Order: sequence, then structure tokens, then C-alpha cells
Amino acid sequence: MQALRSYRLLVTWQALRKKAYLPLMMAVQTLFSLGIVLGYPLLFPTLDRVTVYLIATGAPAISMLSVGLVALPQTVGEQKTEGSLAYMRSLPVPRLSYLVADLTVWLAIVVPGVVLGVLVGAWRFGLDLQVSPLVIPAVLMVALTSTCVGYALASVLPYMLTVIITQAIVVFVFMFSPLTFLPDKLPGWLETIHRLLPIQAMGEVTRGTIAPNEFPLPPGAFLTLAVWCVLGFAVTYAAMTRRG
Amino acid sequence: MLLEIENLTKVYRTGTRANDGITLSVEEGEVFGLLGHNGAGKTTLVNQVVGLLKPTSGSILIDGHDLVADPGLARRLCSFQAQAQVPIDGLTPRQAIELLGQLRGASKAEVRRRRGILVDALELGEWLDVDAARLSGGVKRLVAFAMASVAPGRLVMLDEPTNDVDPVRRRLLWQQVRALADDGAAVLLVTHNVIEAERSVDRLAILDAGRVIAEGTPAELKAVLGAELRLELVVDPRAAEAPVSPFGRSVVAVGNRLMVGVPMDAAGPAVAWAESLQRAGAVEEFTLGPATLEDVYVALVGGGDVRPAETEESFDASAA
Repeated sequence: MQALRSYRLLVTWQALRKKAYLPLMMAVQTLFSLGIVLGYPLLFPTLDRVTVYLIATGAPAISMLSVGLVALPQTVGEQKTEGSLAYMRSLPVPRLSYLVADLTVWLAIVVPGVVLGVLVGAWRFGLDLQVSPLVIPAVLMVALTSTCVGYALASVLPYMLTVIITQAIVVFVFMFSPLTFLPDKLPGWLETIHRLLPIQAMGEVTRGTIAPNEFPLPPGAFLTLAVWCVLGFAVTYAAMTRRG
Repeated sequence: MLLEIENLTKVYRTGTRANDGITLSVEEGEVFGLLGHNGAGKTTLVNQVVGLLKPTSGSILIDGHDLVADPGLARRLCSFQAQAQVPIDGLTPRQAIELLGQLRGASKAEVRRRRGILVDALELGEWLDVDAARLSGGVKRLVAFAMASVAPGRLVMLDEPTNDVDPVRRRLLWQQVRALADDGAAVLLVTHNVIEAERSVDRLAILDAGRVIAEGTPAELKAVLGAELRLELVVDPRAAEAPVSPFGRSVVAVGNRLMVGVPMDAAGPAVAWAESLQRAGAVEEFTLGPATLEDVYVALVGGGDVRPAETEESFDASAA
């Protein structure tokens, strides 16, 4: 009961803190989606059908990653540096309540960008998407995994390193991750790495549920995401409860 | 005793010994000051009490409960105002104070009642519904204090609560700190503002390099200095030599100010000596007043140049 009450109060607190950033975050995510959907056709004037669908379904995945793996770790890293995370950790509430409350608010920030991303893609390419109901667990899983992994990064690494790594992640996600192209385009060694990382699975569940008629939904993808999600959460929780 | 800290030592992984065998205790209804320079180990100490840091050795008890073994209990029993600003941008003071009260387990009605009292007492009314992002550092600090005291724990720890706060509201804040103690809480007050601490605390400990180097009431600590009066001389920087104290008491130099301990019965000779120095041009001006905690603090911790006391003979010679 106490954990639930704390959770509710902390969601209020964290949502009020982030409300000023919400429009900004949504603008950034929309820009990501717009950039991809409008930018790719400039680079490649003739796009085949599969590529068009890949771009339209990859854009929302990228926009979720831009918050979970970039904006979130930078924000949490900053909170660590300025001491506000320590303050939240000193509150008389279960740390689990705080972590879950903060993740809830981050999820609320991530999800609207996905809808915007899909709409922008469908509009630009004139696609008639037969979205599967599984899109809801898929989007939640991608958003939760990216926020958990992002949180873990910021919890474990010093702030400056977090900033540098998140910059590298932007390039890696945009250029070298099978989100707007299929994994077989990658060199063999990178393909192997992506089989272990969660990004490829994020692309698979996103496109497999937004455009189920075009792409298969590999059953193992959800499992890969679940493993990364639990791992990210466990590392974050351990960092949150650790006394230095 | 409500809070009992015994032989507390904290060595960071870097090897820094931030707390070195600290023993102290705070009673219910008592305001206990923890004084020391930046880096003396004050914040390390409170962070261990509230369970953010784990002691290397030693014990922390509240009401006999072992806080090192149960950091969750520590957070429930202590309310804490951290030195860093509270993360409330986006919230109004009303929302922040009430949320914190409810998080501490108080009922909505009780939280509202306490919030009303604190906001009135600290004169925060005009900012009650303003986004904290637009508040000055001082007002935010007062809001942080109100958050820590809206539903106080058995122990209230305040880490530099008056930073950035204007002089008028500082007084209001100190009244509320006292009110917390009067209502039965033990208050652990961390500060490097010695002058304010002297007026506000019942007892205090001075921390230096992680150790308690003095502990007692302000009056007891002033007795350590061995002087009831303090003669402050503003020395002419062009003077070839600094005046030598004839009173057999400690002398502390801070910049071109020289603080000389003077016994109560030597007030007359002290003024005469200072006047003679002024006439000779060695001293620009002087004041004689009661010794302060700051004198004790500077003498113990440094920050000034402490010189050995002269002998009684030199006093007689000079006075003659």
C-alpha cells in the first residue's frame, strides 16, 4: 500500500518536473521522424517498396531510442551531478517506487512520439498501414527497454562519459543499426553484434506490428527485449539502492 | 539520547578519510550544530545518517535502532534538507511542500495545516503558487526547509539551510528551526556560518579533517579560548611589526585584523594598550567586546594565523 501511494505521489512529482520538457521532447522526436522520413528520399530519389516501409516503421523506433538512450541518460546523468538524484534517494519511500514512477513518466514522454512518427511516415509515402493490435505491447516493450538500458547507462557511468557515449549511440543507431534497413546489409561481424544487442529486436517488433503484412514478427525478438529490459532495470535498481 | 553516533569512520575508495572516529549524540528537543570548513566531513556524516553512504566502521543509532543495518528506516526517521537545491522546478512551493508531507506519510489535512503554518511563518505566501523554476535561490532554500519540516521525522537534518537566504527571512527560519526542536524533534544543523550557529544551537561540535576537535555548548567552547573578552585590532598594514599581545591569551590574525583574548578584569588595561597602539600609529582602530564562537572556531580550525600567547610578564611590562 505504502509503495503504491508513494508511486502515485512520485509520478505526480516527476510529471510536474518534466512537464516543461514534454513539448520539447515531443518536438525532438517528431523532428527525428520527419528527418528520416523526409531526408531519406532526398538521399535516394528512387526507393523500392520494402525500403519505404522500412523507413516508415524505422523512424518511430529511432525516435523512441532518441529519448530512451540519449535524452534520458543525459537527464539522469545531470541529476546525478547536481545532487537531485541523491535527494530523491533520501526520501522515505521504497526506491523501487521512485524508479518505477520515473520510468512511467519517461514512457509517457516516449510514446506520443511514436504515434507522430508513424503518422508522418504514412502521410509522406501514402502508405495504408494495417497496424496489428500487438503494436501496443511492442511499443511499450521497446520504450521500456530503451528507457531501462538508458537509465542503467546513466546510473553506472560518470556524467561526462554518459554524454560521450550517448553521442556515439546517436550515430550507431542512425547509421549502423538495422532499423531503416535489414540486417543482411551489415557486414558479418556487425550483424553478429546486433544479434546480441536489443536494437535489432526493437526494429523487428516495431515493423512487425506496424506493418505486419510486410514484415514477419520473429518470436525471439520479444524475448531479447525482455532480457535487456530486465538487465537494464536490475542494474539501475542496484545502482539506486547502493550506498557508496 | 535520540541520535547516537559512535566511532564513525568513512574512508572513500579514493582513500580520503572523510570521517575519522566521530562520536556524538543529539537529544530530543535539541538543536545540535555541526561546524566545519568545506571538506571537513559534515556532509559525509549526514549522508551516512540518512543512508546515502555506508560507513566504513562505527555505528549510528536512532532511538536504539541501528540505521546502518536498516537504511530504509533511516529515511523514515529522518527528514533531510540537502545542501544541493531541491529538484522542484516545474512544481509550485504549495505542490512541493504538500507532496513531501504526504510522502512522509502525513494525512492531506495535516499536511495542509502544517504547510499553512510554515508558509506564513517564513513569509512565503506571495510565491506559494509560482513555478519553482522562477524562484530565487533563497526562496527555493526556504521551500526546501518547509519540505523537510512539514512532517518532520524524529531527527531533522538541515545542511546549510540559510545559504542564499536574506537576513530577514534567516531570522524567521531560525525561529522555525527552534520550533521543530520545541515540538520534540532532534535537529542536526550543518553549517559553516559560525555567527548564526552561536545564536541558534544548544550544543555543537567542530569538525576538522573528519574529526571532532571540540564539542560543547557555545559558552563551554568559548571557555576553551580562555578569554571572556575579545579585543579586535585593525593593524596598519604599513606598520613594521604586528603588536604583541601582553595578556597571556591566544592571538589570532585574520588579514590585517588581530583578535586578542582578554580576561574580563583586564578590560581597562586592554583599552589603554589599544589606545597607545593607536596613538603610535600601529593600529588604525579597535573594538573590545565579548568573545565569540567565531574566535574559538578560528583559533581551533585555523583560517587565521594562531600565535602562541605571550607571558604575564610581557603584559606587566607593556602595561607599565
